[in-house]
Amino acid sequence: MEDLPELVVSATASGCIYALVALAYLLILRPTSVINFAVGEWAATGAFIGVAVLTPLAWPRLEAPYWQALVAVLVILGVLGWLVEMATVRPLIRRGSSVTSPILALLGVLVIIRESLTILFGADPLPSPPPFGFKRVAFGPFAGASQQFLIIGATLAVFVAVWLFFERTVWGRAFEAVALNRRAAALIGINLRRVTALAFAAGAMVAGLAGLLMSPLTSAHYMMGLPLAIQGFTALVIGGVGRVEGALLGGLVLAFVEQLGARYLPIPSGLTLGFPFALLIVFLFLRPGGLIASREAR
Amino acid sequence: MTGALLAASGLTKHFGGLTAVEGLELELLPGEILALIGPNGAGKTTTFNLIAGVFPPSAGSITLDGVRIDGMPVHRIAALGLMRTFQHNMPFAGMPLADNILVGRHTHFRAGLVDILLGLRRFREEEAAARRRAAELVTLVGLGDEVDRDVSTLPFGEGRLLELARALAGEPRVILLDEPAAGLTQPEMTRLAATIRDIAARGIAVLLIEHDMHFLLPLAHRVVVLNFGRKIAEGTPDEIARNPEVIEAYLGGAVSGTTARLGHA
Amino acid sequence: MRGASSVLAWLAAIVAASALAFWLGGYATDVYRKMLIWIALALSYNFLFGIAGQVAFSHFAFAGVGAYAVVILAHKIGLPFGAAFIGALALCALLSYIVALPSTRLEGFYLALATLAFSQLVLVVIDEGGGLTGGTGGIANYRLPDVLGYAIRGPWYTVLLVLLVALTLWVLVRLDHSAFGRACRAIRDNAVAATAMGVDVRHVKVLAFTLTSTLAGLAGVGYAYVDNVINPSVFGLENMFLLLFMVIIGGSGSHLGAIIGAVLVYLAPFLLEPIVGHGFLVVFGVLVVLTILFQPAGLAGLLASRSARHAT
Repeated sequence: MEDLPELVVSATASGCIYALVALAYLLILRPTSVINFAVGEWAATGAFIGVAVLTPLAWPRLEAPYWQALVAVLVILGVLGWLVEMATVRPLIRRGSSVTSPILALLGVLVIIRESLTILFGADPLPSPPPFGFKRVAFGPFAGASQQFLIIGATLAVFVAVWLFFERTVWGRAFEAVALNRRAAALIGINLRRVTALAFAAGAMVAGLAGLLMSPLTSAHYMMGLPLAIQGFTALVIGGVGRVEGALLGGLVLAFVEQLGARYLPIPSGLTLGFPFALLIVFLFLRPGGLIASREAR
Repeated sequence: MTGALLAASGLTKHFGGLTAVEGLELELLPGEILALIGPNGAGKTTTFNLIAGVFPPSAGSITLDGVRIDGMPVHRIAALGLMRTFQHNMPFAGMPLADNILVGRHTHFRAGLVDILLGLRRFREEEAAARRRAAELVTLVGLGDEVDRDVSTLPFGEGRLLELARALAGEPRVILLDEPAAGLTQPEMTRLAATIRDIAARGIAVLLIEHDMHFLLPLAHRVVVLNFGRKIAEGTPDEIARNPEVIEAYLGGAVSGTTARLGHA
Repeated sequence: MRGASSVLAWLAAIVAASALAFWLGGYATDVYRKMLIWIALALSYNFLFGIAGQVAFSHFAFAGVGAYAVVILAHKIGLPFGAAFIGALALCALLSYIVALPSTRLEGFYLALATLAFSQLVLVVIDEGGGLTGGTGGIANYRLPDVLGYAIRGPWYTVLLVLLVALTLWVLVRLDHSAFGRACRAIRDNAVAATAMGVDVRHVKVLAFTLTSTLAGLAGVGYAYVDNVINPSVFGLENMFLLLFMVIIGGSGSHLGAIIGAVLVYLAPFLLEPIVGHGFLVVFGVLVVLTILFQPAGLAGLLASRSARHAT
């Protein structure tokens, strides 16, 4: 049990990454009812942008300061999210087609983005340097890599910012209104197109940030998107779609179950890879009302 | 109660704190056309949905030819011979017109998996007979000759007719029509009224909700008036049109001009 | 599908497709056999996805269950091949039924996620199966036992696969043109109206899922003896996405569309790879998006409207 505090740090950091991906889903799902499976590829894009900006391993070989990588990720992903929404989702929503069509179209987008990353960056994993180096940091008994604490801190900052956005700003209330009832929101003058575009851009940025933050620990790899998308969605289902905090809770629960289970359960370690899927199934069936009810609110 | 094909007794439905229908007694005989009317929010749609099995009553019972159907799943009620149409057209957009109608006949298909896979006579004859019947129904309701039309391009009025044909394909004993005349042109309404009379003449019990008194009063054999979830009057169209309570319910309600029309009926 | 003419058409197609097997050389035979497996999978997936309207991601997992089950039963446990074959299909049917019962309660894409999670669990189980499943390395060094005293090798195995495709197509087309097929489409188009018409939605959904998943298992059995090697990665998400793309691009809801989509998506890389390298996947992604946006009826829809225009 001596390594429990370290495990806690590790699980918290992983949980934060899942939470960010879950948040990316949530930002898009609530106003549009669209499940965007491509968030994983957005995260991968963020990771590769980090590699491109921070290291000489990929074009443009900048080796630039970290804040520039951060800005690059936010700007490029924001634009990418907006483009995806405009090109694939907006025409379908405008046409009034069922929600399945944009979801399937986004699977096509998923493959496009992933293959483009492979073409641009190759098939090998590329390491990304952590901005605070490889030293270990300790807060009392809780010790871990500096990057893990950066992840936790950044995630908390993002969640606070998003929570404030929804609770305290006019735009945030507009989001909520659209999430509750699209038609009514349009009737009271909220610009649906802008909210949807903003939702996608914001979701992309959050996902890209998740990728950038996790890449020093796991490297940037073209196959990283899909497992992350599944884990992020599991976190979303666990935490519930209703509130932003749910994404954070869901991510932490998933990560803790995964890592504590792998460490302490007397089952072969390979089987622990099945935890996210088992959890997903359990929560999909335990809480179908919770998920569906929020959609039926429209 | 004897002889009644469809009977509701003490029918009550609460939605949380709201009582939508209270203690409703209703009877429908074969070949009868019964109209359910009332101001908005009177409980007509709730009653309809209760009978159709969309949700169970909070209290009371519904029987179809002596069999209790309240609380039964919708598809089983349909199998027992009670079919319905919807207020908004609900076609199966991915299927041609004839197939839409055939779905209404779903509970009548007896051929099993083996019959289907091997194309046995039982299956082939059933299908052929069903398609002949669908063609008959298309003509009966006035949808014209083309059975292979694309349903998504049907004009609104013909969509209403499709609803009717589809429900009739189930060879129902009772048919529930939810505002069948809504949105129809005058000639379409005349044609629809004739079709409904035809249906009833064949022994089918018809229960319909309608707001259009011009359409309804010459057509219905009997009228039941609801207000605030309770039956306030029942009788022939003439009796109802002269009933002061009914007139007052509508005066106090949102349906303007109806009093004038009621007076003319 | 009535009368002698359609029977003749079927026979002619089967004979032609079989004759091709005798004409092709070694490498082309492998390509052809795998294409036949993909066609079989696309046909059954098209029924589930396009006709019954269930977005499921478990189809390849059931192909995997079929493949692994027959190999394990016949070669690890040593059952006679007939028993192993039936056992494999029975396992697929049972497993898909168990999955279908709760899953069909889920709406829309949540069904997709549940079936995706299930398929990933299947892969984890196969990966960790140790001696029984061969783990991530898979199982090799087996071959199709003699059936009724005959060793089915070479082009004759290809003919067997042609028959497998024909059987799959025949079952699905017959089901499509029946009350069951109409019920599936009705549920897809408007489940509330379908219920009101007397369709037992749960029952039909479960039946559609179980039937098509068992057909996927059958294709998996066919696949097991193509290379005489099976490993878990073949049955993963990558190929599931490809299958989905095949059905969408070909035209979901149309049997012909499934065949076209499977042939196109399967053969295109062979033609495109020399030119665009790995880029052909981008092409598929783009085609999927374009199909959904502009031509939801897919290539089959394009062909249908072309022939309709020529007929008038």
